Amino acid sequence: MDRTERILDLVALLLDAREPISWAELREHFPADYGGSDDAAERKFERDKAELVELGFPLTYVQGDDERRDGYIVDRDAYYLPEADLTKEELAVLYAAGSAALASGVFPGRDDLAHALRKIGFFAGESLPTPRVRMELGATQAGQEKEVSARLEQLWEACAARKWVEMSYASPKHPGTTQRKVDPYGLALRRGVWTLVGYCHLRGGLRTFHVHRVRELKANTARPRTPDFQVPEDFSLDNHVAYFPWQHRFHEPVEVVLRLSGALASRASGLFPGAVLETVAEGGVTLARLRVSFLDGLARFCLSLGADCVVEGPESARSRLREMAARVANRHADALEDKVSA
Amino acid sequence: MSNVHERLRRLLFLVPYVSKHPGVTVESLARALNISREDLLEELDLLTCVGRPPFNPDDYIDIYVDNDRVYVDLDQRLFAPPRLTAGEAAALAASAELLRPASGDALQSALQKLEHVLPPQVRERYREMYRKIDASTEAPQALGPLTRAILERREVMFGYASPGRAAEPRRVRPYELLSHRGQWYLQGFCHTRQDARLFRLDRMEDLTVTETPFLPPPDARADVPNPARSSSEASVRVRFSPVAAPYVKERFGQDARPLADGGVEVLVAGDSERWLTQWVLSFGGEAEVMEPVSARAAVARAARASIGL
Repeated sequence: MDRTERILDLVALLLDAREPISWAELREHFPADYGGSDDAAERKFERDKAELVELGFPLTYVQGDDERRDGYIVDRDAYYLPEADLTKEELAVLYAAGSAALASGVFPGRDDLAHALRKIGFFAGESLPTPRVRMELGATQAGQEKEVSARLEQLWEACAARKWVEMSYASPKHPGTTQRKVDPYGLALRRGVWTLVGYCHLRGGLRTFHVHRVRELKANTARPRTPDFQVPEDFSLDNHVAYFPWQHRFHEPVEVVLRLSGALASRASGLFPGAVLETVAEGGVTLARLRVSFLDGLARFCLSLGADCVVEGPESARSRLREMAARVANRHADALEDKVSA
Repeated sequence: MSNVHERLRRLLFLVPYVSKHPGVTVESLARALNISREDLLEELDLLTCVGRPPFNPDDYIDIYVDNDRVYVDLDQRLFAPPRLTAGEAAALAASAELLRPASGDALQSALQKLEHVLPPQVRERYREMYRKIDASTEAPQALGPLTRAILERREVMFGYASPGRAAEPRRVRPYELLSHRGQWYLQGFCHTRQDARLFRLDRMEDLTVTETPFLPPPDARADVPNPARSSSEASVRVRFSPVAAPYVKERFGQDARPLADGGVEVLVAGDSERWLTQWVLSFGGEAEVMEPVSARAAVARAARASIGL
């Protein structure tokens, strides 16, 4: 019998059973499948059982007593999806986000997500909202989505099963690729880019990897149901990935004060989320205080904002921005015919 | 994940779905399951062989197609789908994070209700897996009201600051929200301009959802804004140092021409001087505009202005 068919038969049998079903009975019911040597049959059933558990089938083995015999039993109430009583608004949020993630093509656990959306929509009938939210995630070039999507799926499974992966990684900081063995702790999305955070065996520490820079990827297939590593209790993805260029952890954090004027004054909270803001000069100027662990990243961003963004302090940040601006000005100086000194 | 697993998940949903929607057409059932018509018919064939021992006629699932519609007479107790698995719940919760904080309390309460319907033995595993995806984007607050306005088909009003100009009031029919490279956009019809427009959410002020209803066009798909690849003929030649080259190559692929010194050169659209200047400056001295000279001058002026010259 086909394995899919056999497992569905088991589901039907167990859902209908009023009494525990013993292993001996199961062998009688499926003589062609669980025939052969005891060992082989038991291993086959163990694999089927593991599949049932993966599907969320609440299967348990009960020890018999005077009233009951030994055998397998399923908790029916724990099997069927109950109505979650989601409000229209709650359903809309889950649907809009879930469908947008699926449609983006680049989201880890795509199959899981598709099944989840179907299930939460089961009781909703025809009233499901049509989401009009679209997201482009994870790919830096058009046409790259498929590859990134496949990598995310593999990494999601490896994260979930806690199996190490081997990959070749193309970092822009080094020519060529390096071979890495990584314990994948989790996946984070920041500004449209997916990042893997994990323990890198090559570097002997926690490292972050952009998923679109992973060239080849292979997960450890030995003993699939036994985890290869533990994720430390206090591990949090958010401590290892940056939202903004100035948050990359390249040096000890310093507090920088920016002076935003003109059109930038009212956009401060959007440009520098999390910064402490103070309005001065009757609303025309906003001072933004923020923690910076990569001054160059901040300087580049400030430079691109133009003259309405000025660094007030500290001096190290001021001079970094000046140096950069002077360098750009000098490289283009012939167009204006005079030079600038930093 | 094995094919058997994927197939089982599909079939354990299929039977209850037909049970709940008797007479569903083959086509809409295939769409609901995201499989082809042929694959669906194959699945239905398999299901007719499924049953429980002792396999008497009434012990089989009785599912059939009649006049291109699907019915189930005996579902063998498959009248509701299984609960969410830990992986399914975690993927759903992580995707919902994409709209945080815009979705406000609805998201929090939805996730609580979902967690509540997970089997107890799955809950801990779900929490563990949920911690492994962090998709919290910097979703702006305006996303919440705009999503609602799109769903309820109501016009919106906001102040909009175009580059270099003070904010002015706009009245817009919101069609679609789009996130591109971490930036959120609203696509819609602007009454003020009498034309289709794309708005950046971070340039909106004082958003209100009006009571005025509208009927959206059937296909209002926004084009992705990409100043680098505009259709304009006038292009700008930009050169990058070896330090910046790998990042530029990542984005431009084959369009980045390698140079002898290890740097690269690309051609980008020149119709937005403002965008070009910002973009070149964001490389902090690792990028240089080669031509035309007007674009070189614009970058030089902007860099000098940043240091008060």
